[in-house]
Amino acid sequence: MKRLISVIAIFAIVLTLAAGCGKSKKPPVIGISQYGEHASLDNCREGFVQGLKDAGLVENEDFVIEYQNAGFDDATATQIAQNFSANNVALMCAIATPAATACFAAAEDKDIPVIFTAITDPVQAKLDKGNITGTSDKLPVDAQLELIRKLQPEAKTIGILYTTSEPNSVSAIGEYQEKGPEYGFTIEGLGVTQQSEVTLAADTLIAKGVDCLSNLTDNNVVGVLPSILEKTNEAGIPVYGSEVEQVKIGCVAAAGIDYFELGRQTGKMVAKILRGEATAAEMPYETISEFNYYINSAALAEMGIDVPAEIAEKAIESGNQ
Amino acid sequence: MLELRNIVKIYNPGTITEMCIFQGFNLTVADGDFLAIVGSNGSGKTSLLNIICGSISVEGGEVLINGENITKMKEFKRYEKIGRVYQNPAMGSCPNLTLLENMSLADNKGKAFGLRKCINKARKDYYREQLSILGLGLEDKLEVKMGALSGGQRQAVALIMSTLTPIDFLILDEHTAALDPKTAEIIMELTDKVIKEKKLTAIMVTHNLRYAVDYGNRLIMMDKGQIVLEKAGAEKEATTVNDVLHIFTEISIECGN
Amino acid sequence: MNNFLDLLVGTVTQGLIYALLSYGVYITYRILDFPDLTVDGSFPLGAAVTAVLLTNGLDPYLTLPVAMLVGAAAGLITGLIHVKLGVRDLLAGIITMTGLFSINLQIAGSNMAIDRATDTIFTAAPTMALFGGMSLIYRKLIVSLILAIVFKLILDIYFNTKSGLLLRAVGDNSVLVTTLAKDKGSVKILGLVIANTLVALSGAVVCHEQRAFSSTMGTGQVVFGLATVIIGTTLFKNLGFVKGTTAVMVGSILYKACIQAAISLGLPANLLKLVTAVLFLVILVIGNRQKSGVNSNA
Repeated sequence: MKRLISVIAIFAIVLTLAAGCGKSKKPPVIGISQYGEHASLDNCREGFVQGLKDAGLVENEDFVIEYQNAGFDDATATQIAQNFSANNVALMCAIATPAATACFAAAEDKDIPVIFTAITDPVQAKLDKGNITGTSDKLPVDAQLELIRKLQPEAKTIGILYTTSEPNSVSAIGEYQEKGPEYGFTIEGLGVTQQSEVTLAADTLIAKGVDCLSNLTDNNVVGVLPSILEKTNEAGIPVYGSEVEQVKIGCVAAAGIDYFELGRQTGKMVAKILRGEATAAEMPYETISEFNYYINSAALAEMGIDVPAEIAEKAIESGNQ
Repeated sequence: MLELRNIVKIYNPGTITEMCIFQGFNLTVADGDFLAIVGSNGSGKTSLLNIICGSISVEGGEVLINGENITKMKEFKRYEKIGRVYQNPAMGSCPNLTLLENMSLADNKGKAFGLRKCINKARKDYYREQLSILGLGLEDKLEVKMGALSGGQRQAVALIMSTLTPIDFLILDEHTAALDPKTAEIIMELTDKVIKEKKLTAIMVTHNLRYAVDYGNRLIMMDKGQIVLEKAGAEKEATTVNDVLHIFTEISIECGN
Repeated sequence: MNNFLDLLVGTVTQGLIYALLSYGVYITYRILDFPDLTVDGSFPLGAAVTAVLLTNGLDPYLTLPVAMLVGAAAGLITGLIHVKLGVRDLLAGIITMTGLFSINLQIAGSNMAIDRATDTIFTAAPTMALFGGMSLIYRKLIVSLILAIVFKLILDIYFNTKSGLLLRAVGDNSVLVTTLAKDKGSVKILGLVIANTLVALSGAVVCHEQRAFSSTMGTGQVVFGLATVIIGTTLFKNLGFVKGTTAVMVGSILYKACIQAAISLGLPANLLKLVTAVLFLVILVIGNRQKSGVNSNA
């Protein structure tokens, strides 16, 4: 019984301390809940802080950041959000869908504004109504198809790997299939249920003789991108990325949104809310429309692909020189 | 009545370790018999019990109880008519349940375990009365967890539990072997008392030749899956430990033990 | 103080909701001595079914029994695979869990969210009639507390029925169950059914609380369940009057409090799992040291 009491006492002390810390801070606290550590999501967060600064706010004077990441665990994301709510943060910034879902649920009681980013389809995720807004990272599918057409004028089929449980991926694959024919492509989509199946599925697509692969922002697929690239390089099939980080790893090119930009745009929205110029409830979520061309010259050269001048001059070299 | 007809039992058939233990084994145990079985290790004593209870299958032959062929009957079904006490005292009861709960389990043997309360207060006195047969004072320890009792006490309870409901046969599988000599003596006496009081048919496997000679009305000695000695009735009464020991030693020398 | 209270309420609520899952793991791991990995699949199963039913306008309270029924089916499948097909316990659970991953996605289509206009058990009219005066987090606490206590009491009563006694016996000494002329396989199946019913219920309540189902929400739930069972039963080992279900409920709350403490202290999430693993190990070792009695069942 003694042991039990001491355990409970320790928890009580820790929780009290934690709660006390939250209270003593003067400037409004922004709780950032990031679903997990991941290059694009990290870029997003850094961009977010930059966006706040760009709007003229000074960290630790006008706002304080409290950053937590859930290590890709839904239950942890729930507890992080509850922690923010209990500490009465001024607003919660959620990076990726599961983090946003958890924040939105925890914020309901106190009506704390939630600002999300890196969510492809806020409507499907039911994060479009209420004291919530943010930025969406919908893939620029048209631009990507156009890019592939220009780099590979003869290509007929594009293979795409995606996780069937990720709504973002499912909606993106739908768009690809709808728009592919406009650019003269057949889309060979192949769904997987988990990461371990991805490389096997890549083999299947290669065996089917696709002319290239194009990626979505599918966590399972992107997670094993290096091993996919190993196979495709051997087969001489170019892989197109969906954002800069994938091009850095070895994809030939991408028409992708810049997650740092996405974060920055989100930061600007938050600045408006902190200044009282707008509320999350009345601001509609924004979809970033600008995209950049990223190229990896080394990878392109290996595949024997020439970059037309119109692309080359706009593109950002992202490969390791 | 229990009958074993032409039993064939082969362990690991078709493999390099194939071993035929019974090749047309026959045995009949009449109602009211108290049969003691002795024999060296590997002579087939425990296999025999396992065949009767259905714990292992046979390659040939039939097992009959009161004329009914039960060769294909599942093990748990056979125990509706059979009680069994194992060598390991822990096997006869649940260590994490109380004595009372264990008695209730045994009391419900063969019946449906439904959603009625597991402890029927009205039966408590009956359990006490049954436990008092043992003379170990266990009737006052109903709320004690079984695991807290000594091996001897647990084996005594196992004996009572296995005979609490009406059964046709009581199987005793070296049930005194894991106990110290004094406790073994007590348990053996209790066994005899219970068998007589409840008028049970019993089959006892034992390594203790004296128990085999002193208790029961029939004695068989087994070797390599065959009965090499059988004494019953008056003939058994006249048999001494030395007689049995003599034959036993002969067999053992043959085997090179 | 307000902060602390809110934090406490939120943490206890999580502990209570997940306690339902822990009850299930308590039955399989502690009582049946069966390491049931079905949990990682039946937990999201409960949520998937709930998400679909809520979206289709079923009464929120009715989603709970439906989710439980579906969870029971999952337990039944693991039981049949193990008992009738003779597949080892661990593998039987893995097979069902793997299959359920696909089935969950078939049921829900993909990850699903439920919008705020849809009533949940925390916002539906009967709940509001009783607890409408409270703020949402207290309502969540009360409803979770009611569920956790009601099912705890039902289990406590069940364990003292003949059927419950046989269930406890099969994990304690399965040989004895056979000599009682009972098929131990059927008893194991029954235990798995009850356990996964509770696990699916827990998943369903999480879905109500988070307004979402995600296909990966089951990952690691077995480990969570085992940890809470061991934390709970180890802490209360010497207090005979505390029921196993109560111990497990407290274990679940303590586990969630641990995570919350780590978050509050600003521990990086990547370390969070390590801290949990170490905590788990320490408690396990203490538990083993103190383990008394012989586990004699074959």
